[in-house]
Amino acid sequence: MADTVIVVALLLVAAAATAAVLVRDPARQALVLSMLGLCLAVVFLVLQAPDVALSQLAVGSALTPLLLLLSVRKVRHGVRRAPRERAGARGETGKTGGTGRPGGTGDDPGGAP
Amino acid sequence: MNGWLLAAAAGLVGGVAPALWGAATGPVRRRVGAQNTATLLVCLVLMLLAQGYARPGAYLDAALLLALLGPAGTLIYARLFAAELAGDPPRGRITGALSVLAAAAVVTALCAVTPPGRATVKTVLIGALLVAGNLVSTAALRHPPGGPDRAGEAERVRHG
Repeated sequence: MADTVIVVALLLVAAAATAAVLVRDPARQALVLSMLGLCLAVVFLVLQAPDVALSQLAVGSALTPLLLLLSVRKVRHGVRRAPRERAGARGETGKTGGTGRPGGTGDDPGGAP
Repeated sequence: MNGWLLAAAAGLVGGVAPALWGAATGPVRRRVGAQNTATLLVCLVLMLLAQGYARPGAYLDAALLLALLGPAGTLIYARLFAAELAGDPPRGRITGALSVLAAAAVVTALCAVTPPGRATVKTVLIGALLVAGNLVSTAALRHPPGGPDRAGEAERVRHG
Protein backbone atom coordinates (compact mmCIF):
# COMPACT_ATOMS: atom_id res chain seq x y z
CA MET A 1 0.00 0.00 0.00
CA ALA A 2 2.83 2.39 0.85
CA ASP A 3 4.46 1.55 -2.46
CA THR A 4 1.29 2.54 -4.30
CA VAL A 5 1.41 6.04 -2.82
CA ILE A 6 5.11 6.34 -3.67
CA VAL A 7 4.54 5.27 -7.28
CA VAL A 8 1.59 7.66 -7.69
CA ALA A 9 3.56 10.57 -6.26
CA LEU A 10 6.58 9.84 -8.46
CA LEU A 11 4.36 9.66 -11.56
CA LEU A 12 2.84 13.01 -10.62
CA VAL A 13 6.32 14.54 -10.26
CA ALA A 14 7.28 13.23 -13.70
CA ALA A 15 4.09 14.62 -15.25
CA ALA A 16 4.48 18.00 -13.54
CA ALA A 17 8.13 18.32 -14.57
CA THR A 18 7.31 17.44 -18.18
CA ALA A 19 4.45 19.96 -18.20
CA ALA A 20 6.73 22.64 -16.73
CA VAL A 21 9.14 22.09 -19.63
CA LEU A 22 6.42 22.03 -22.29
CA VAL A 23 4.67 25.25 -21.20
CA ARG A 24 6.53 28.09 -22.90
CA ASP A 25 5.34 31.38 -21.35
CA PRO A 26 7.44 32.11 -18.21
CA ALA A 27 4.51 33.48 -16.18
CA ARG A 28 2.37 30.40 -16.89
CA GLN A 29 5.41 28.24 -16.32
CA ALA A 30 5.58 29.59 -12.77
CA LEU A 31 2.17 28.05 -12.05
CA VAL A 32 3.26 24.60 -13.24
CA LEU A 33 6.52 25.03 -11.35
CA SER A 34 4.66 25.54 -8.09
CA MET A 35 2.60 22.43 -8.88
CA LEU A 36 5.89 20.58 -9.28
CA GLY A 37 6.94 21.89 -5.87
CA LEU A 38 3.75 20.54 -4.30
CA CYS A 39 4.23 17.11 -5.90
CA LEU A 40 7.86 17.04 -4.74
CA ALA A 41 6.74 17.84 -1.20
CA VAL A 42 4.34 14.88 -1.33
CA VAL A 43 7.17 12.63 -2.55
CA PHE A 44 9.46 13.74 0.29
CA LEU A 45 6.71 13.15 2.83
CA VAL A 46 5.92 9.73 1.41
CA LEU A 47 9.61 8.83 1.59
CA GLN A 48 9.49 9.65 5.33
CA ALA A 49 11.37 12.95 5.16
CA PRO A 50 8.95 15.51 6.65
CA ASP A 51 11.67 18.13 7.28
CA VAL A 52 12.68 18.19 3.63
CA ALA A 53 9.00 18.39 2.64
CA LEU A 54 8.56 21.31 5.03
CA SER A 55 11.38 23.33 3.49
CA GLN A 56 10.30 22.37 -0.03
CA LEU A 57 6.80 23.68 0.71
CA ALA A 58 8.13 26.92 2.18
CA VAL A 59 10.37 27.58 -0.82
CA GLY A 60 8.08 26.27 -3.54
CA SER A 61 4.78 27.83 -2.51
CA ALA A 62 5.85 31.32 -1.49
CA LEU A 63 9.44 32.20 -2.40
CA THR A 64 9.57 30.88 -5.98
CA PRO A 65 6.36 32.69 -7.10
CA LEU A 66 7.55 35.91 -5.47
CA LEU A 67 10.93 35.70 -7.20
CA LEU A 68 9.28 34.98 -10.56
CA LEU A 69 6.71 37.76 -10.07
CA LEU A 70 9.46 40.30 -9.49
CA SER A 71 11.63 39.15 -12.39
CA VAL A 72 8.75 38.83 -14.89
CA ARG A 73 7.56 42.30 -13.96
CA LYS A 74 11.04 43.73 -14.42
CA VAL A 75 11.43 42.07 -17.82
CA ARG A 76 7.99 43.30 -18.99
CA HIS A 77 8.75 46.87 -17.95
CA GLY A 78 12.06 46.71 -19.77
CA VAL A 79 10.38 45.51 -22.97
CA ARG A 80 7.67 48.17 -22.72
CA ARG A 81 10.15 50.97 -22.19
CA ALA A 82 12.50 49.93 -24.97
CA PRO A 83 10.54 51.22 -28.05
CA ARG A 84 9.96 54.62 -26.47
CA GLU A 85 13.63 55.03 -25.72
CA ARG A 86 14.46 54.10 -29.28
CA ALA A 87 11.95 56.65 -30.60
CA GLY A 88 13.38 59.31 -28.32
CA ALA A 89 16.88 58.62 -29.56
CA ARG A 90 15.73 58.84 -33.16
CA GLY A 91 14.11 62.23 -32.62
CA GLU A 92 10.63 63.36 -33.63
CA THR A 93 10.42 61.07 -36.67
CA GLY A 94 9.58 58.07 -34.53
CA LYS A 95 6.50 59.76 -33.06
CA THR A 96 5.08 61.45 -36.14
CA GLY A 97 5.91 58.70 -38.57
CA GLY A 98 3.71 56.15 -36.84
CA THR A 99 5.76 53.03 -37.12
CA GLY A 100 2.62 50.94 -37.00
CA ARG A 101 3.54 49.22 -33.78
CA PRO A 102 0.45 49.34 -31.56
CA GLY A 103 2.37 48.51 -28.41
CA GLY A 104 4.68 51.51 -28.67
CA THR A 105 2.11 54.13 -29.65
CA GLY A 106 -0.71 52.93 -27.45
CA ASP A 107 1.55 52.89 -24.46
CA ASP A 108 2.35 56.62 -24.43
CA PRO A 109 -0.89 57.96 -22.86
CA GLY A 110 -0.85 55.18 -20.32
CA GLY A 111 1.67 57.05 -18.24
CA ALA A 112 5.24 56.10 -17.54
CA PRO A 113 6.52 55.28 -14.08
CA MET B 1 -4.30 2.35 8.65
CA ASN B 2 -4.11 1.33 5.02
CA GLY B 3 -7.40 3.01 4.29
CA TRP B 4 -5.89 6.44 4.94
CA LEU B 5 -3.02 5.80 2.54
CA LEU B 6 -5.51 4.56 -0.03
CA ALA B 7 -7.55 7.73 0.42
CA ALA B 8 -4.37 9.80 0.00
CA ALA B 9 -3.51 7.95 -3.22
CA ALA B 10 -7.07 8.45 -4.47
CA GLY B 11 -6.79 12.14 -3.68
CA LEU B 12 -3.54 12.33 -5.63
CA VAL B 13 -4.98 10.53 -8.65
CA GLY B 14 -8.48 12.00 -8.66
CA GLY B 15 -7.69 15.49 -7.36
CA VAL B 16 -4.11 16.60 -7.90
CA ALA B 17 -3.66 15.03 -11.35
CA PRO B 18 -6.67 16.85 -12.91
CA ALA B 19 -5.54 20.03 -11.19
CA LEU B 20 -2.11 19.58 -12.77
CA TRP B 21 -3.76 19.21 -16.17
CA GLY B 22 -5.84 22.32 -15.52
CA ALA B 23 -2.78 24.31 -14.46
CA ALA B 24 -0.82 23.30 -17.57
CA THR B 25 -3.49 24.00 -20.21
CA GLY B 26 -6.33 26.38 -20.95
CA PRO B 27 -6.95 30.06 -20.19
CA VAL B 28 -5.23 31.87 -17.34
CA ARG B 29 -8.32 31.96 -15.11
CA ARG B 30 -8.49 28.16 -15.18
CA ARG B 31 -4.77 27.76 -14.58
CA VAL B 32 -4.72 29.98 -11.51
CA GLY B 33 -7.87 28.38 -10.11
CA ALA B 34 -6.44 24.91 -10.65
CA GLN B 35 -3.25 25.86 -8.83
CA ASN B 36 -5.31 27.21 -5.93
CA THR B 37 -7.36 24.02 -5.76
CA ALA B 38 -4.22 21.88 -5.97
CA THR B 39 -2.79 23.66 -2.92
CA LEU B 40 -5.87 22.74 -0.89
CA LEU B 41 -5.94 19.16 -2.19
CA VAL B 42 -2.25 18.56 -1.44
CA CYS B 43 -2.83 19.90 2.06
CA LEU B 44 -5.65 17.36 2.53
CA VAL B 45 -3.40 14.60 1.14
CA LEU B 46 -0.69 15.55 3.63
CA MET B 47 -3.19 15.29 6.49
CA LEU B 48 -4.34 11.87 5.27
CA LEU B 49 -0.71 10.72 4.97
CA ALA B 50 -0.01 11.90 8.53
CA GLN B 51 -2.87 9.74 9.74
CA GLY B 52 -1.87 6.85 7.47
CA TYR B 53 1.70 6.73 8.78
CA ALA B 54 0.40 7.29 12.35
CA ARG B 55 2.91 10.10 12.89
CA PRO B 56 0.85 13.25 13.32
CA GLY B 57 3.69 15.41 14.71
CA ALA B 58 5.97 16.58 11.94
CA TYR B 59 3.62 15.49 9.16
CA LEU B 60 0.82 17.78 10.29
CA ASP B 61 3.32 20.65 10.51
CA ALA B 62 3.86 20.40 6.76
CA ALA B 63 0.10 20.56 6.18
CA LEU B 64 -0.18 23.56 8.51
CA LEU B 65 2.59 25.38 6.65
CA LEU B 66 0.95 24.68 3.32
CA ALA B 67 -2.43 25.89 4.60
CA LEU B 68 -0.72 29.13 5.64
CA LEU B 69 1.46 29.69 2.59
CA GLY B 70 -0.82 28.35 -0.15
CA PRO B 71 -3.21 31.33 -0.18
CA ALA B 72 -0.19 33.65 -0.03
CA GLY B 73 1.13 32.05 -3.20
CA THR B 74 -2.26 32.41 -4.87
CA LEU B 75 -2.32 36.10 -3.93
CA ILE B 76 1.08 36.48 -5.58
CA TYR B 77 -0.27 34.85 -8.73
CA ALA B 78 -3.35 37.11 -8.64
CA ARG B 79 -0.93 40.04 -8.66
CA LEU B 80 1.20 38.55 -11.42
CA PHE B 81 -1.79 37.82 -13.70
CA ALA B 82 -3.80 40.92 -12.66
CA ALA B 83 -4.16 42.19 -16.24
CA GLU B 84 -5.36 38.87 -17.67
CA LEU B 85 -7.69 38.19 -14.73
CA ALA B 86 -9.26 41.67 -14.93
CA GLY B 87 -10.10 41.07 -18.57
CA ASP B 88 -11.29 37.48 -18.09
CA PRO B 89 -12.20 36.77 -14.45
CA PRO B 90 -12.89 33.24 -13.22
CA ARG B 91 -16.49 32.03 -13.33
CA GLY B 92 -18.31 29.18 -11.63
CA ARG B 93 -18.15 28.28 -7.99
CA ILE B 94 -18.47 24.51 -8.20
CA THR B 95 -14.76 23.76 -7.75
CA GLY B 96 -14.47 26.01 -4.70
CA ALA B 97 -17.57 24.53 -3.10
CA LEU B 98 -16.40 20.98 -3.80
CA SER B 99 -12.94 21.61 -2.35
CA VAL B 100 -14.42 23.17 0.79
CA LEU B 101 -16.71 20.13 1.14
CA ALA B 102 -13.72 17.79 0.73
CA ALA B 103 -11.79 19.73 3.38
CA ALA B 104 -14.73 19.53 5.77
CA ALA B 105 -15.10 15.78 5.15
CA VAL B 106 -11.39 15.04 5.72
CA VAL B 107 -11.17 17.19 8.86
CA THR B 108 -14.33 15.59 10.29
CA ALA B 109 -13.05 12.08 9.61
CA LEU B 110 -9.64 12.81 11.14
CA CYS B 111 -11.20 14.42 14.21
CA ALA B 112 -13.49 11.42 14.65
CA VAL B 113 -10.54 9.00 14.61
CA THR B 114 -7.82 10.79 16.57
CA PRO B 115 -8.10 10.99 20.33
CA PRO B 116 -8.55 14.54 21.61
CA GLY B 117 -5.28 16.38 22.07
CA ARG B 118 -2.81 18.54 20.23
CA ALA B 119 -3.34 16.71 16.94
CA THR B 120 -7.07 17.44 17.03
CA VAL B 121 -6.48 21.13 17.66
CA LYS B 122 -3.96 21.23 14.82
CA THR B 123 -6.34 19.43 12.46
CA VAL B 124 -9.21 21.80 13.21
CA LEU B 125 -6.86 24.78 12.82
CA ILE B 126 -5.68 23.49 9.44
CA GLY B 127 -9.28 23.01 8.31
CA ALA B 128 -10.26 26.54 9.34
CA LEU B 129 -7.16 27.96 7.63
CA LEU B 130 -7.97 26.02 4.47
CA VAL B 131 -11.54 27.30 4.25
CA ALA B 132 -10.58 30.88 5.10
CA GLY B 133 -7.64 30.83 2.71
CA ASN B 134 -9.81 29.45 -0.06
CA LEU B 135 -12.34 32.25 0.43
CA VAL B 136 -9.63 34.92 0.46
CA SER B 137 -7.81 33.63 -2.60
CA THR B 138 -11.03 33.11 -4.59
CA ALA B 139 -12.07 36.68 -3.85
CA ALA B 140 -8.60 37.90 -4.87
CA LEU B 141 -8.82 36.01 -8.17
CA ARG B 142 -12.27 37.43 -8.95
CA HIS B 143 -11.26 40.98 -8.08
CA PRO B 144 -7.53 41.09 -8.75
CA PRO B 145 -5.49 43.69 -6.85
CA GLY B 146 -4.71 46.97 -8.57
CA GLY B 147 -6.51 50.19 -9.40
CA PRO B 148 -8.35 51.41 -12.50
CA ASP B 149 -5.08 51.63 -14.41
CA ARG B 150 -5.08 47.82 -14.28
CA ALA B 151 -8.26 47.76 -16.35
CA GLY B 152 -6.56 49.91 -18.99
CA GLU B 153 -3.69 47.48 -19.03
CA ALA B 154 -6.15 44.62 -19.50
CA GLU B 155 -7.65 46.40 -22.47
CA ARG B 156 -4.21 46.79 -23.93
CA VAL B 157 -3.45 43.11 -23.39
CA ARG B 158 -6.71 42.08 -25.05
CA HIS B 159 -6.22 44.29 -28.08
CA GLY B 160 -2.48 44.07 -28.58
